[in-house]
Amino acid sequence: MRLGRVLGIMLAVWLLSSLPARAVEVIAHPSVAIPRLNLTYAKGLFSMRQTRWPDGTRAWVFVLPDNHPVHGAFSKEVLNLYPYQLRQTWDRQVYSGTGQAPIEVASEEEMLRRVANTPGAIGYVGRVNPHDPVRIITVD
Amino acid sequence: MIRYASSRSTRRLCLFGSLLLGWSGQVLAFELNEALQVHGFLSQAAALTNRNNVGGNSSDGWAFELRELGANVSWRPDPDWLLSAQGLMRWAGRTDDGDLRLDYGFVDRTLLTGDNRLGIQLGKIKNSYGLYNTTRDVAHTRPGILMPQSIYWDRIRDFMLAAPGVSLYGEHNGPLGTLNWQASVLKPEVSATEVEYVNFLMDMPGRLKGRTSWLGQAMLELDHERWRLGVSLGDMAMRYAPAGIDPLQPGTTHYRPIVLSLEHNRETWTFAAEYTEIAVKYRDHGPMFILSDNTTQAYYVQATWRFEPRWQAYARYDALYVSKGDRRGKQFEALTAAAGMPLPGHLLYAEDITVGLRHDPTPGWSLSLEAHRVRGAAGLARVDHLPGLPEKGWNLLLLQAAYRF
Repeated sequence: MRLGRVLGIMLAVWLLSSLPARAVEVIAHPSVAIPRLNLTYAKGLFSMRQTRWPDGTRAWVFVLPDNHPVHGAFSKEVLNLYPYQLRQTWDRQVYSGTGQAPIEVASEEEMLRRVANTPGAIGYVGRVNPHDPVRIITVD
Repeated sequence: MIRYASSRSTRRLCLFGSLLLGWSGQVLAFELNEALQVHGFLSQAAALTNRNNVGGNSSDGWAFELRELGANVSWRPDPDWLLSAQGLMRWAGRTDDGDLRLDYGFVDRTLLTGDNRLGIQLGKIKNSYGLYNTTRDVAHTRPGILMPQSIYWDRIRDFMLAAPGVSLYGEHNGPLGTLNWQASVLKPEVSATEVEYVNFLMDMPGRLKGRTSWLGQAMLELDHERWRLGVSLGDMAMRYAPAGIDPLQPGTTHYRPIVLSLEHNRETWTFAAEYTEIAVKYRDHGPMFILSDNTTQAYYVQATWRFEPRWQAYARYDALYVSKGDRRGKQFEALTAAAGMPLPGHLLYAEDITVGLRHDPTPGWSLSLEAHRVRGAAGLARVDHLPGLPEKGWNLLLLQAAYRF
């Protein structure tokens, strides 16, 4: 009986840990009061067409360089876009004056620091540690 | 009037270039504060042809008069307001001599946000036309060293590029995808002599001026922008202001284009195709004017393969027929001969097979190599061949280095 329970717990733990863990977390400044974004809205923010959070506050978008593996994972897994598509969207806007480029940071450490220090910021990292002063945003 | 690249503009280039290089090479795009951004681009190409001229006397050896230099500033003081302006200097053979000009400068106000967006722009705005018109001068954003002449005909470039006016735009998000649209009322700018060669077959003593025109575009993005389908249409008009003694009367020319655009994006491939028909209408140019209304028909198909991260190869077939009803220009030959100004039919078409290779060693730099095999001369500027005429069959090799920040 006891062995059965232990086995059951072990099975549950194994099942949970084998679930496909997302390699990227979307993060925001802790003052952002929105825990969830739908995919269309998140795409609007990261393609720099949407300039506000759903509650009206100004959004600041931070990204990693195009060739950063976490940027690739974020583009494809979260936004369902290839990184070159995002770059084309930004370029089209930046060089026709119809929009601005996101703020590019060099590393995940800098991403965490800038997002934690900029009210209204949104960004992404591979992994968030419990003590990181950022809010995790669910995109679905 | 034909203008040549002057030493004055070369000096301006040197000044601009040294300013650019004076900045740190590491981070050229910067936020003075987060809401203000500065970006720029430059490119230099070299052209070699066996016959005909591109970017200078390219049939006598490498020609280097193909250069672009631009910088822009944008400021978003508030999420709903955007102010932006771009200065551009461009050299292209005898058609463009590096004069510094305002490429665009406008204020953009967002009127509605959320899942559906609406906004208005006022000022000098880039014309949304086909897939690539708004950023055709930025090497990194165009689909090759030369734009497909079928849709982005350089001979009437300034007429189609950007214009003062007002524009309303919107974005609607639905279960299928995103619909973007834009509608503009504008007054086109016409400054290049080449537009007179397109309109009148010669450099006339008077000058052309833009008239109130409109352009509209709808672009549907499906399946996470894997598919982009667009339609652009409008009525672009200009008026001829005759000189004191002039065979022509003050008439107007209308270009009424419809462009169908398709882009398909895959992880390593992009396919693009665009088709246009432009109804060209001449009004009130007087009895000495020999041309009649016609329809220009043109299209291209292109495949781009990103075979390595930083490398791409592309192939394109690009066809332009100035007169749909006279594709090879036979009637045109007879008409111009009867008028005592015989011109060859190959001025009315161009069929261009292009292959190219691009390498981006860093996010800022891009190096390209492109080869064209062309039949017909409709894509070539007449002013680059004066006092003669361009020939029918010709090949072109292009090299380009470009930087952007």
